Amino acid sequence: MLRKFNLSKIKQRYPKPLIGDWGVILASFTLIIFAFQKFWVFEHASLLKIRQGNQIIGTFDLNQSRELQIKGPIGVSYISIQQGKVRFKQSPCHNQYCVHQGWLNHAEQVAICLPNQISLQLMGSKNSYDSLNY
Amino acid sequence: MRLFLILAFLFLAGCSSKEPLYNTQSYVFGTLVDITIYGESEAKAQALSNEIIRNFQSLHNRLHAWHPSELKTINHAFSQGKTPAVIQPDVAMMIADATKLSIQSQGAFNPAIGKLIETWGFHHDEFKPIRIDKNKITSLVQANPQMTDIIVENGKVFSKNPDVQLDLGGYAKGYALDLAVDYLRKQGVKNALINIGGNIIALGKHGDKPWRVGIQHPRKPNAIAMLDLESGWAIGTSGDYQRYFELKDKRYCHIINPATGYPIQGVQAVTVLIPPQSGAGTLSDVVSKPIFIAKPEARAETAKTMGVENYLVIESAHKIIVSQRIANRLTWLDKDVAKHVTQIQP
Amino acid sequence: MTHSIIEINTTAADHHIAKLTSLAIGLHILEAVIPSPLPGVKPGIANIVTLYVLYEYGFATAAWVSLLRVFASSLLLGQFLSPTFVLSLTGAVFSLSVLLFAQNLPKRYFSAITLSIFAAFAHIAGQLIIVRLWLIPHTGVVYLIPIFALAALIFGLINGLITAKIIQQK
Repeated sequence: MLRKFNLSKIKQRYPKPLIGDWGVILASFTLIIFAFQKFWVFEHASLLKIRQGNQIIGTFDLNQSRELQIKGPIGVSYISIQQGKVRFKQSPCHNQYCVHQGWLNHAEQVAICLPNQISLQLMGSKNSYDSLNY
Repeated sequence: MRLFLILAFLFLAGCSSKEPLYNTQSYVFGTLVDITIYGESEAKAQALSNEIIRNFQSLHNRLHAWHPSELKTINHAFSQGKTPAVIQPDVAMMIADATKLSIQSQGAFNPAIGKLIETWGFHHDEFKPIRIDKNKITSLVQANPQMTDIIVENGKVFSKNPDVQLDLGGYAKGYALDLAVDYLRKQGVKNALINIGGNIIALGKHGDKPWRVGIQHPRKPNAIAMLDLESGWAIGTSGDYQRYFELKDKRYCHIINPATGYPIQGVQAVTVLIPPQSGAGTLSDVVSKPIFIAKPEARAETAKTMGVENYLVIESAHKIIVSQRIANRLTWLDKDVAKHVTQIQP
Repeated sequence: MTHSIIEINTTAADHHIAKLTSLAIGLHILEAVIPSPLPGVKPGIANIVTLYVLYEYGFATAAWVSLLRVFASSLLLGQFLSPTFVLSLTGAVFSLSVLLFAQNLPKRYFSAITLSIFAAFAHIAGQLIIVRLWLIPHTGVVYLIPIFALAALIFGLINGLITAKIIQQK
């Protein structure tokens, strides 16, 4: 009840958006919905591309269990590949954003350690298959 | 408040575009089993996959060629003479089916040559070069163990030839595929892809596009080609690159010609595509072998005898033969390879 | 040797602008220190200052305040010439470019809210371009677009409302 009271008071105090503003807001909404539907289509990833700086360290099959150590300008980042997913396990950066990204397992997903200039990129299956016959 | 609801809706809208694809991998049958189910809840997919894996494990244990198992007990009874051993109905059915296929392939597909396979050292999880005992091999071949030596009567089985030792390695995986697909169909699953050690059967589609499978390059760690596997179709490959050893620069793989007693040389892989039918999975496992074993000039005839129209033979990176029917289905992934492909007349 | 004294005559406006710039720097640093759940997604409250200066003192001054804020903050945070700095600068340049045109929109229909939203979208667009060209040179970036766009709208809206209120109260 208290919250509702404050909200209407806040609404009174703030200037109302003008017609043009509403137009912009609406158009932005539409754009955002479109963006979600277009770009947020998840598919299983099969390959991992690791970059350090502007160099491609390597392309790895995601279907394995492996630990990698990549050296960047501020130290060594530890990357863990586990049967279809990958993550930054440890990194010498201050904010630890990369580590907090957690596990990636969908195509086009990316995790970067900006300070160490390392990027993990999962690749989609436009040119690949659901299963391998051997 | 309105803003929050709209945002929540957007978030959910975004989340729901995740495709309902469930995938699990496990190690059964001495190989990697990969089950993919599309369009079911994760809970259901997981429960069904677990059940399938359990069944596979059980089948694997019962049919193990060199660990204590139902099969080993039967084999032991065979070697002891004509005293019958108890046999389960499903195993009896497998034997009957395998016998039929063995006859159809004129003995090229022969699961009764367990002794030969063991002699070559392939009854282990890892393979080492062996000292080739020519005399032993000759005598094993002369013993001529055949599926037709096996008699099944009233829930019991015996063999007229004590040298018959069953090894269902070239049959069980395909059989398991058929079991799994039947199970999933009964459970109401419309779309799934099952891969047992490389043998694959498809059910339904991957959403709005068909399931797509890659075919392993015999000598490189990537796919050499890929094709769409439509609902009910199965694909199987016999290759010299998984179970083999090398001795003096020569490769000895696990596919043995029953007529000579020696592993086949000169072919790296044979892939067959089986159209929807009862036992498609089994056929996909079995039927590649006779074609693998056949002499190059006899392959087309063998394929015809086995009822296969879609097949691909990789003799080497520079010699690939495809049947007319399979040619259009294949998308070559290895750029160097496409120019070495010749089409065989059906 | 006699000392030579150079006198710089400052006006009250200059003082005010200097105060606003330090406020902007302060807000930027405050935001940099508070962790955000998603990298690259920040409320961007320092932009309120930029917008306010745009309305009160014109585009040139706003550009000056904005760029000064970017440089000074990065120096103070020890991020000068780092990837973060480049992203910050790119965002600022793109926003300013859009504001250069948006400021001419009829004030009868478009308030600070519109400008703020436009600036926010321009900001993330610039950053996504840099990310795409330099940091993640592949189409993986598209995954970020919807989230960043949503953040741009939300925070653009909020900052715009705050700016409009401040202007209204003047």
